[in-house]
Amino acid sequence: MSGEIDAVYIYDEQNAPLVEHVYRSRPPSASALLPLYLAHAEPRPSLLYIPSASPPVTVFSTVESNLLFLAISEVDTEPLLALEFLHRVIDVLEDFVGAPLLTTKIQANYDVVAQLLNEMCDGGTVCNTEPNALQEVVEVPGWMGKLLGGIGVPGTSTPTLGSTNPLKQSLAAASASQGPAIPWRRPGVRHTSNELYVDIIESLSVTMAPSGRLLSALVSGTIAFTAKISGVPDLLLSLSAPGGQHVLGRKIELPVFHPCVRLARWKERPGELSFIPPDGRFILAGYEVDLLPIDPDQEEPPSHMEKLFLPAIVDIRKSLGSSGSEFEVRLTLNTNFPGQSSSSRPGVPRSGSGTSTPSFLSGGGSGSSGPALEEIVVSVPISKSVRHITDMQASRGDAQFTPSSGLLEWRVPTGKDAGSLTGTATLRCSVSGYPSADDDFDDSVEDADEDANANLLQGYYEAPTSYNDASASTSKKTRSSDPSKRKKKKKKSTKKSSRSAALHPEDAEEDPGAATSPSPNPSIPHTPTPPLQSQSQFNAHLPAFFAPSSTSRPTRRTKAQVNASLMPNSASVSFSVRGWLPSGIKVDSLNIDQRRSRGLGESVKPYKGVKYLCVSNRGVERRC
Amino acid sequence: MLETARELTLEAAQSAAINRTSSTDYTSRTYSPAHIKKLLDSRHEREVLDGMRKVISLMYRSEPSLTFFSAVVKNVASANLEVKKLVYIYLVHHAEAEPDLALLSINAIQKSLTDSSPQVRTMALRTMSGIRVPVISQIVSLAIKRGCGDMSPHVRKAAALAIPKCYRLDPNTLPQLMGYLEILLGDSQYFVVGPAVAAFLDLCPDEIDLIHKHYRSLVKKLVDMDEWGQLATLRLLTFYARKCFPQRTQKVKRTAPEAFYDDEKQQRDNQNDVEEYEVQVMDPDLELLLRACKVLLQSRNSAVIVSVVRCFLYLGPLEYIATAVGPLVALLRTPQDMQLIALYNIVAVALRVPKPFAKYTAHFLVHANDPPHIWRLKLEVLTILFPHCGKHWKGVIISELEHFSKGTDPELVRESVRAIGRCAQADTSTAGMCLRMLLGQISSPDGNLVSESLTVIRHLIQQDPASHKKTVLQLVKHLGSTTHPDARATIIWLVGEFAGIDPENNIAPDVLRILMKGFADEMEIVKQQIVLLGAKVYLHHLLQNPPKEQPEQIAPQPFPEVPAKSQQEFHNEWTDNGNDESQDAERTEEGEQNRQENGGAETKETEEATEDRITLLWRYLLLLARYDTSYDLRDRARLYKSLLETPSSTQLANLLLLAPKPVPHAPSPSETRKDLLIGSATLVVGSDAGYHGLRGYTNLPDWVEPGQEPDPSLRTEDVKPDTSINTTSMTAGDRLDKALREHKTTYIPSRGRNGTAMPLDPAGKKTLDQWLQEEEEETETESETDSEEGETDSEEEETDSEEEPGSEEEDDESEEETDSETEAVHKEAQQLLR
Repeated sequence: MSGEIDAVYIYDEQNAPLVEHVYRSRPPSASALLPLYLAHAEPRPSLLYIPSASPPVTVFSTVESNLLFLAISEVDTEPLLALEFLHRVIDVLEDFVGAPLLTTKIQANYDVVAQLLNEMCDGGTVCNTEPNALQEVVEVPGWMGKLLGGIGVPGTSTPTLGSTNPLKQSLAAASASQGPAIPWRRPGVRHTSNELYVDIIESLSVTMAPSGRLLSALVSGTIAFTAKISGVPDLLLSLSAPGGQHVLGRKIELPVFHPCVRLARWKERPGELSFIPPDGRFILAGYEVDLLPIDPDQEEPPSHMEKLFLPAIVDIRKSLGSSGSEFEVRLTLNTNFPGQSSSSRPGVPRSGSGTSTPSFLSGGGSGSSGPALEEIVVSVPISKSVRHITDMQASRGDAQFTPSSGLLEWRVPTGKDAGSLTGTATLRCSVSGYPSADDDFDDSVEDADEDANANLLQGYYEAPTSYNDASASTSKKTRSSDPSKRKKKKKKSTKKSSRSAALHPEDAEEDPGAATSPSPNPSIPHTPTPPLQSQSQFNAHLPAFFAPSSTSRPTRRTKAQVNASLMPNSASVSFSVRGWLPSGIKVDSLNIDQRRSRGLGESVKPYKGVKYLCVSNRGVERRC
Repeated sequence: MLETARELTLEAAQSAAINRTSSTDYTSRTYSPAHIKKLLDSRHEREVLDGMRKVISLMYRSEPSLTFFSAVVKNVASANLEVKKLVYIYLVHHAEAEPDLALLSINAIQKSLTDSSPQVRTMALRTMSGIRVPVISQIVSLAIKRGCGDMSPHVRKAAALAIPKCYRLDPNTLPQLMGYLEILLGDSQYFVVGPAVAAFLDLCPDEIDLIHKHYRSLVKKLVDMDEWGQLATLRLLTFYARKCFPQRTQKVKRTAPEAFYDDEKQQRDNQNDVEEYEVQVMDPDLELLLRACKVLLQSRNSAVIVSVVRCFLYLGPLEYIATAVGPLVALLRTPQDMQLIALYNIVAVALRVPKPFAKYTAHFLVHANDPPHIWRLKLEVLTILFPHCGKHWKGVIISELEHFSKGTDPELVRESVRAIGRCAQADTSTAGMCLRMLLGQISSPDGNLVSESLTVIRHLIQQDPASHKKTVLQLVKHLGSTTHPDARATIIWLVGEFAGIDPENNIAPDVLRILMKGFADEMEIVKQQIVLLGAKVYLHHLLQNPPKEQPEQIAPQPFPEVPAKSQQEFHNEWTDNGNDESQDAERTEEGEQNRQENGGAETKETEEATEDRITLLWRYLLLLARYDTSYDLRDRARLYKSLLETPSSTQLANLLLLAPKPVPHAPSPSETRKDLLIGSATLVVGSDAGYHGLRGYTNLPDWVEPGQEPDPSLRTEDVKPDTSINTTSMTAGDRLDKALREHKTTYIPSRGRNGTAMPLDPAGKKTLDQWLQEEEEETETESETDSEEGETDSEEEETDSEEEPGSEEEDDESEEETDSETEAVHKEAQQLLR
């Protein structure tokens, strides 16, 4: 069997069962399954086989707006089918009860949710997932409800009304008997104001070598379309790119289309999308553009790489300062977007209705003509052996280090008061590793150098399990060069280490006086190595370190070396640019084929809007 | 217009009212059961609906809602569609708990099966089959039978969906159900066929005889089906193709590739030609399928793409799968949860056909925010693609791996080092580069990295020991500085394994000597290796200096000049260090130990001294091990001791210690999944799913043997009358019924509009001549049946609207348009198919 969904479970933010819909057989209940699912360490893969459940099940999972969606199957089901189904469920629910999905919205619309889930899958076979078709069979809290400002309004178009409208019913009957002529569009669509919107969103992902050379630059694009137009319109959307039509065909790679798009037309003339849209918002097409096409068989590194324009580039210089414990992040911004001499956007900004598309569309538009670079965040993954980052000095914006996620985030403001964006901003930080909190080998430690060496290993293994040394958090430079002072402090911590088990999670950095009561921090991710084991492993192999002492003593690692191992080795920058696309693709025209369209008056000139958005979600990545 | 305006105001007022009431109702979570019961018993539909909503909310909140069963079931006959829907949902959910009460509702549902509205009929059929009370299986079966003949495709679809449910109720209904399936599989509506195929897969996936005559129509409808129907059909057809199209190869001359599809004649001609090569001959029906699949590669549904890939990979020649690789890689654009599954499939495909993926190497670069399960697979893809890339990309991949091996995530470090090893293994031209890089890692302070690098180095050395003698030397140098026990153990093992082979350049005894000094402080795992090394050294020593035998054994062995030199330097350095001590030890015990050393008398004087020491070393080592705290180590030492007790019989020891080790091969981690079916959950779960995979997992059958396949004419024969499916097997009466049904299908709108609910069996309103004519028209051509049908439909629709003067202009127009649109779609689909 290709796919059988036994049940769909939805859990709320606190992982309490929210919706439990069983399609077939008797899968484990939502509350019984959850602990088994959560038993798997994070991050959980989207497919989990749980043999301990009764009966054994495979669980397909996805998370949307903090709600956990699970699809359960007892038999071998195509995983992508189950996941696609879950995503459709999410889209449809967003469509019907409003995006973003909230627990309260779902609770207030249980009857709608029940009908939807019932319609979308019948006895384990996925059968009807077209939003337009579902609108036919499930009464919606329709536009009328939205008009009245109600969220969570149960079905507005009442059954009494439905039965008093013989025309509507007869039409429905007609379509029911013939089968839907266009499966994705519901018949008899009427809008008072006809509107068409095209949103092209491109997501940029660039990888740069330590030298600054580009390794790859990929763009994945999505064309989201909103059609609020009466009758059955036949639309023609033409795209263009710098260099002409024939370039476009080669440029847009691996496109996928909504079923409404006529593939033959695209094949014949790449860049032309001819289609009858569904009513409402939908993803018309997806594509990708390789900004850096490299022949796989190429022997020499390509030379044309430097031409690529990027609005933000990040760089890291490591091991600075006297002890090599500092690093500097340099962010180079450039807002001189190529090919943006004048405003070319036909429409004015609007607030997206954001149903099935990513929510970033719903941000308000800017009235300015040029592309706007926004939401610049530099993320630097920090090694787990780094205890704290001090002295964060940013020339612009402010930075924050969250030890639990091991991420240093630096936000650079882009508002009007930020002035000109173009230029370089820097962030300088110094890192400090873990002090020698472990005292079991205290006796064997003879000098500070070895201590430092041990520290490194310890920090490496113990990152999530060690606890704060009271002394360390007070001194900025943890690797203090005064050995006597160190020893004293160590003794202090010996007492507590004897009673506190190694399993205690790391204390929050913000709590310097936590020596007495290590408070567990649940958000700290656990490393795959069980803490106890690593502890013993470390302690045990310490003698081995001294073992070959009679031959050549290992070269002592200097402070600089220790610090070098604490340095970050990559940085990435996230940003969004409104009004600019890295691929240079543009909407050339959007026309209604009057000859083939029906139900739309000749005189009606629908309002058309086009929006471009480039996002990079930690997409520009620099190795170092 | 006025009418609609009034409606709108009404609707607005109502929704406002609901809004007001509901805002209070839904926030207060507790409803008194009495209140709900009262609502359900109310005579006002509105109140009943309200009550039902509350019951459903309770049900979804997992609060007790079973108490309302009788009150709810009463409403099953409600005329209100909304109420009915909710009652049905409740009924299906709870019927198992209250089978007796549920049976009371069956009558009302059965009545709804003959309702004039197709929507009501659909719901009734779906609900009835969903009630899990086995007693009603016959009634359900009958309902399905009626549904199969319904004029509304929605009802027929519901019938198809009900078939597996009925089968689960009572497996004895299988023969009847298969009969219904046969009808539904030949349905002209693509969205009836999709669920029918799904039902077939659920019910009787091996009964391929049912498929033969529908094969071509299924292939043709594939493009038009919805995604879920496509998935089921692709699966069915992939299995079908394996069972029905034997793999035929044909010898073809290299110069005449155009003779590809010609038959035996061509083959005979080529028989005596020298430059022959075998070409796979594709069945035209199989080619039809593969071509139809190509269009689906632009589907937005990732599962469809993987299904097409599966179809191409297992059925088609290489050029097909090459076209599907791009769309498969494009699945990396999907959200992370799907990306993971896509990557599993990519790995499985890339293991079989790596070449086409090389173009997309850039897609597999690991990003900083990839979770472990994603980067693990990406690294694997990179190593698989490595030998197929150009120099540029090879360099990029290696430096990427090197970058990650210096990272801080221990898992990532380990995986990337292993990946480097696999790269070196797969492409010998870069093996040297990889090895150099790995050797560089050994001095890293990161113990994890060091031990993992050493493991990989060991594998590389073992694969080609002859050319890595120097590498072993280099490793020994690191022994002094490496603290990681695994790393030390690995190096010591390597020394024992390879350095002892060449007797003239033997550094092993010296390494052993130095190691023994720190013996007490070593980890157990290292101690074990030291003891093993000692045993090997001693054994080599015994073999080379057998008591009074073959003195000239060593002499003719030539050895290269250069390594010997470096060896010498090394040797001196080490001996200088500890010469005094060992000399002392030697002197004290020389007398006792001398008894086996006679064999060495024939070699030079200087060597005799060192040989002497080896025995001493061995004794000393045994002594050390004997008093070790670990009993395991003591046992091992005892074993070796007794093995090597008698110097003259070394055969057993030789077998045990010096047996050639199998060359370790580090395969791609997913190599074990290679044979699992693409697109299945078992592929992702892997070995955890057990030997047979997850329940319900079936791998593709092997290609059918030529000559065993079903007659191809089975497919051609019945495909022509697409709309009147199985003329041969139908009785005349059945054919009459069928024609009438079709007649009904086209004329239902007018009926619906008149509002008169007609009985289901239509007394012949048309004359016999008329329907005969119609059938002829429909069966005229084979290829154009679909569009033909679309045309007739739209024509009839037009006449209908003419008959209806009161209907609204705009809506009618749109209706008409939709029909001509279908036609367009059909035509287009056919163009694509050609």
